[in-house]
Amino acid sequence: MHIHSYEKLWLGMALLLIVGFIGTITYGTVGAGVQMVDDSGGNVEPGNVSEHEEFGEPGVEKVGENEYDVHVVARQFVFNPGSEVYGAIEVPVNSTVNFYVTSADVIHGFSIAGTNANTMVIPGEVAEITIETEETGEYGIVCHEYCGEGHHNMEGLLRVVPEDEYNGSTQ
Amino acid sequence: MSGTTVPAESNETEAEPSVSAATGQEEIQRELSHEEYDPKGTLALILIYFAILMAMWVFMYFVEFLGNELVVVG
Amino acid sequence: MSTQTDQPSFVDRYPEEAAVVRRSLLVAFVMLGIGALMGLVQALHRTNVLRIIDSADYYTVLTAHGVFLAIVFTIFFLVGLYQWAVTRSLDRSPVDIRFTHAWATMMTVGSLMAGAAILLGFIDEVPVSADVLFTFYAPLQAHPIFYAGLAIFIVGTWMAGADWFRTWLAWRKDNPDERIPLQTFMVLTTMIMWYVATLGVAVEVLVFLLPWSLGLIDSVDPLLTRTLFWFFGHPVVYFWLMPAYLLWYTVMPKIAGGRLFSDPLARVVFILFVLLSTPVGIHHQYVDPGIAQGFKFIAMTNTMFLLLPSLLTAFTVVASIEHGARQRGGTGLFGWLTALPWRDPAFTGMALAGLLFAAGGFSGMVNAGMNINYLVHNTLWVPGHFHLTVGTAVALTFMAGTYWLWPQLTNREIYSRPIALAQVVMWFGGMALMSNAMHVAGLFGVPRRTAEPQYSFDFPALFGTIGELRLQIAVGGTLLFISTVLFLSNLAFSLGTPKREGFGQTIPPALSGPEDSPAVLDNMKLWAAIAVVLVVLAYALPLGAIISDNGLFGVGIEPYPMLVRPLFDWAGATLAGLAEVIA
Repeated sequence: MHIHSYEKLWLGMALLLIVGFIGTITYGTVGAGVQMVDDSGGNVEPGNVSEHEEFGEPGVEKVGENEYDVHVVARQFVFNPGSEVYGAIEVPVNSTVNFYVTSADVIHGFSIAGTNANTMVIPGEVAEITIETEETGEYGIVCHEYCGEGHHNMEGLLRVVPEDEYNGSTQ
Repeated sequence: MSGTTVPAESNETEAEPSVSAATGQEEIQRELSHEEYDPKGTLALILIYFAILMAMWVFMYFVEFLGNELVVVG
Repeated sequence: MSTQTDQPSFVDRYPEEAAVVRRSLLVAFVMLGIGALMGLVQALHRTNVLRIIDSADYYTVLTAHGVFLAIVFTIFFLVGLYQWAVTRSLDRSPVDIRFTHAWATMMTVGSLMAGAAILLGFIDEVPVSADVLFTFYAPLQAHPIFYAGLAIFIVGTWMAGADWFRTWLAWRKDNPDERIPLQTFMVLTTMIMWYVATLGVAVEVLVFLLPWSLGLIDSVDPLLTRTLFWFFGHPVVYFWLMPAYLLWYTVMPKIAGGRLFSDPLARVVFILFVLLSTPVGIHHQYVDPGIAQGFKFIAMTNTMFLLLPSLLTAFTVVASIEHGARQRGGTGLFGWLTALPWRDPAFTGMALAGLLFAAGGFSGMVNAGMNINYLVHNTLWVPGHFHLTVGTAVALTFMAGTYWLWPQLTNREIYSRPIALAQVVMWFGGMALMSNAMHVAGLFGVPRRTAEPQYSFDFPALFGTIGELRLQIAVGGTLLFISTVLFLSNLAFSLGTPKREGFGQTIPPALSGPEDSPAVLDNMKLWAAIAVVLVVLAYALPLGAIISDNGLFGVGIEPYPMLVRPLFDWAGATLAGLAEVIA
């Protein structure tokens, strides 16, 4: 096969670029420790969410020294907790927060706006993502997957508060 | 290009001008065979593209992404 | 455009085939018009510039925009272009033109059914609706005629592929030792990819969604059906792109006054697409729960290697144009760029499409990057990306290609070359503005697929305000709409320009021809077999894992027909929430 030397050079560089990309992403996983949401959250029957041990009473729960579990139920068109009717999610700064998010009806999204915390919420599945809170502040939560005609109303709030202001309940 | 026996194709390279060309468009002035043509300009452009890709990737991955808040660690 | 040639044009030589091509392009352009109007409504609505619809109807508009443009416009243009390419490059009619008419009719009927289901969503009195967006994720449920229409449409495309394979086999009998002409090679490889890819959506629609929408089965698994969708949903983007590549590889060098630099590399590129387009779909599900990280990593590596054919294309196509420029007297390292036929709208349109594709390529690399997907997933970045790819690399190339192809299909001149030139430049400008703003807004976390620009909190904009970005999106979207109107009206006026002779076009042979490549490249069975093996390797385990966790039909999944019911559910949920808070 006849290939011009410039094209051979470009082929080599293109492969280098590809290997470089794969290398960067591997570094992100192994070096920087970014983990993808996966099948570790297990399954929940969407129709029985309200009877579920954790999702039946969703909210923030202290599970360790500086570690909190947050169970969130997404349904057309609210996050419980997070949306206004249920109150914002509140966690202290400098803590590890494990989010467990599931859906009681259709596919939703759960994204803490402007941050890397971003996952799909699929009925039947539990999305588990862990973040570390490093700064205090308020973050918007959006449903980023179309879930019906009120989709644009589906939002919530996350408050990261100073340790001494944290009182252990959602507000 | 496609096939050598196809009647609609001319094997000569003096092709007619494009039907979408502007009137008075300059015609082909010389024939360049594969041997006498090195795509130097293309190589230069593609090296520039390569440099842009590398720089943008490093910026997007290490500044925008890993430098962003609430990195997912589990 | 008064260029004269002494070749007979395509319509002179193949009048019946030219009619099929013209009709396919016409359907494509009608859909382009409707889809573009929907795009304008959206761009102005979600930027709060002009609101003529309810936010609830935004999703009907969005569904129509996505399905009409990304499915009907693109694929009807594809079948028209491919019918032309096969006929022209094999210099041969279909074995039976009635079969050709049959698939064109099937595809049209399917489009009308799905289109009607979507548009009836605007009329509340009619209980038909399909506000399920381009991705139709269950358990959102469309009317059965939406799914049936899609199925009929896809079967039509399968028949089109069979028609082209049949023509090729007939040609092969008469030319047992010839290499497959390049354009036919591109058509056949595209269709092999399409047969493999559409298996996913065929199973999704025929086994799950259609019976479920008819009430024959109670439940479907959202993760499984969604995974089947993306099995199809990524390769479909190459189904859009490959006809654009066909134009870039075979038509653009000719228009530029040059010759294709390398026929062998063009073949390698199309084979790489056959092999790698499908086993990558899980990269659309990087942040899906229920799929192990290892499967996502495999999809990521495959996706990254799928960059290779596009990177190779960038070189070969630019080198072919440079060849044209140098033959036309261009000199210097960059000076040759000025010797290109920039006043030819077909050339300029395709070149600008290629330029924006280079930018879209970069945002695609980010999308492919697994963990960095946390940053951009389902933000406005993503539609920013695909408006550069399908919305420009594909759509603008199709429009530009039409300026070259249409006279050969009708023996009529394009009404106005200057308007055509303004049109392609306007598309470029509008898209550069809109897409750039969408990318940036996406990095601030602004979500895609939402009717409202404003949430009760502020997006953390760092440079430029969200308001400025919104304005850029609105202005860009408006320019794109005007560009579409210019394209369609220029073409409509071209129906009335006087008929004359002299529109025949030949395509010059490649500088490095097929004889420079090994014959194994033309072995379609081999590449099809390897493609299937790669798909099985990539999908057997993830699909198996989903089915073993959730069963084939999921557990306790209620359908959510996109009619009136969600409104009650919504009110119900809110009341339930209130009750809980009060208690």
